[in-house]
Amino acid sequence: MSVIAPDFKLSEFIKSLFDNAFWGLMLMVLVGLPAIMMVLFVIEMPVIDGELLTPFLAFTWLADPTRTLPIVHAFMATDMFRVMVFPGFGFAALLAAGTIFVERKMLAKLQLRVGPFYCGKVEGILQLMGDGLKLISKEIIIPAKADKPLFWAAPVLFVATAAAFVSLIPVAPGWVVADIDMGLLAVFAIIGFFPIITILSAWSANSKYPFIGGIRALFQMVSFEIPLILSLLGVVMVTGTLSLSGIVESQSSFPWIIFLPIGAIVFFITMLAELERIPFDLPEAESEIVAGWLTEFSGMMYGLVQLGTYLKLYAFAALFTVLFLGGWHGPMIVPPFPHEIITEGIVMGPVSAQIPGLPLFTQEMLNGALWFVLKTVGVIFFILLPRGVFPRIRIDMLLGLGWTKLIGLCFVNVFIALGLLYAGVLGPGGLQ
Amino acid sequence: MVGELAGGYGTVVLMFGFAAVAMAPALVVSRMVSPRKRSNPVKFLPMECGQVPSGAGRTHFMMQYYPYILMFVVFDVMAIFLYAWGGSLLSLPRDATLPMMGFLGIMFGAMAFALYQTGRRQIW
Repeated sequence: MSVIAPDFKLSEFIKSLFDNAFWGLMLMVLVGLPAIMMVLFVIEMPVIDGELLTPFLAFTWLADPTRTLPIVHAFMATDMFRVMVFPGFGFAALLAAGTIFVERKMLAKLQLRVGPFYCGKVEGILQLMGDGLKLISKEIIIPAKADKPLFWAAPVLFVATAAAFVSLIPVAPGWVVADIDMGLLAVFAIIGFFPIITILSAWSANSKYPFIGGIRALFQMVSFEIPLILSLLGVVMVTGTLSLSGIVESQSSFPWIIFLPIGAIVFFITMLAELERIPFDLPEAESEIVAGWLTEFSGMMYGLVQLGTYLKLYAFAALFTVLFLGGWHGPMIVPPFPHEIITEGIVMGPVSAQIPGLPLFTQEMLNGALWFVLKTVGVIFFILLPRGVFPRIRIDMLLGLGWTKLIGLCFVNVFIALGLLYAGVLGPGGLQ
Repeated sequence: MVGELAGGYGTVVLMFGFAAVAMAPALVVSRMVSPRKRSNPVKFLPMECGQVPSGAGRTHFMMQYYPYILMFVVFDVMAIFLYAWGGSLLSLPRDATLPMMGFLGIMFGAMAFALYQTGRRQIW
């Protein structure tokens, strides 16, 4: 008989079980329950049976699964839920994590490698979790003469700015964190922060490679901001609104990519440059300047910058979907919620349970979110694809491309939009 | 009125703050979990591919693309003016487009001149 754990003692094992149960209970009482109570005080309580629910009553109801759903409904209507979970941080981080895994696996297939394979038995599905644990257990080394506060703040600011960008994206009808009339201008304002954070972190590291990378990032983002802004002007002209939800609603019959393909292509190219992806990954060109502006980041700081980069990638892909591919619009493919469950409750043999407030999400919302995710994943695929195909270009080629060709194409796009409007094809009285 | 206009941006700031508050603990936990034992001055030197770093880290750096930055300052402002026009185009009379075309013509001329200047490498 092979001995797996020679020091195993049943009494120790039982003691450890009790220890864990004790600490779990302790944490729940001291942290979990107060946290739930705080959330209940913040959210707006629903009116049930003609009476306004109080937080204390709601707290007792949480123990009863058939009465929890109205409270969950009320929680889902709060800004907190939107910021933390659905159209906000949790959703975006989930898609970003998926993107990292798919990128590694797809790039490996393109280059006839295997990619992540061992972690998690099935095709290395847990590789990302392993990487996260590795990064969090690595020592953070800061260069001796670095500007410490700035250097610590840069990764957090990078993630936070990317999250602020995500907050402007409408995912499904009514499901957007910040629905602003000037949404597109807010997007430009937030994009303008990235070069500043990059150059600050590069400057604070007091090292030469990050500095060169930071200068390159500054040039790249600054010179591609003009084509980025101008390529979206055509969409604003034909819709007459700057609100992102308004732009999605204007595409109920056809997406704008049909009428403004040049704008879409220019926006896609500038998107690659703003995201520092191949063929425009000059700021972190690993074969020339070590890792560019990321050279001095180690451990979890590097992890945070990576998370921010992929959040930004998701946000740009979602922006492309919203502006050119019609956002949440698509044929209704989600089946309607079965009506018997609402009227009669769930019947399983002799037992039947009436659960109030059951359609947790409406059919329109599920369908919209599904189409949005499908389109966004498609755009992300086309962002990832050039990494396996193209070489990196020189910085003078990059600047020449941005300033001469792309800006020229932007104005061609603007004149196409103007021509479509004045010929009566689009706009009031045209196709809608 | 101003408060209503600014109120919509509150959730953007909330999201910014939430991400910062949610991600900063990752750095703190990492600092608590990770080993910080063996310390020597070489470890904290800036990365220069294994060599001992020479000279200042924040050196004077020749930014050889200065004309592009000048162009950026001009064209960024122009782009926002174009948005003010493009956003209200559907409610403007058609002959209001003519002055805009004149404006674009002037800007194209300026841009052509600036691009010509970027080609003259001897004046950088």
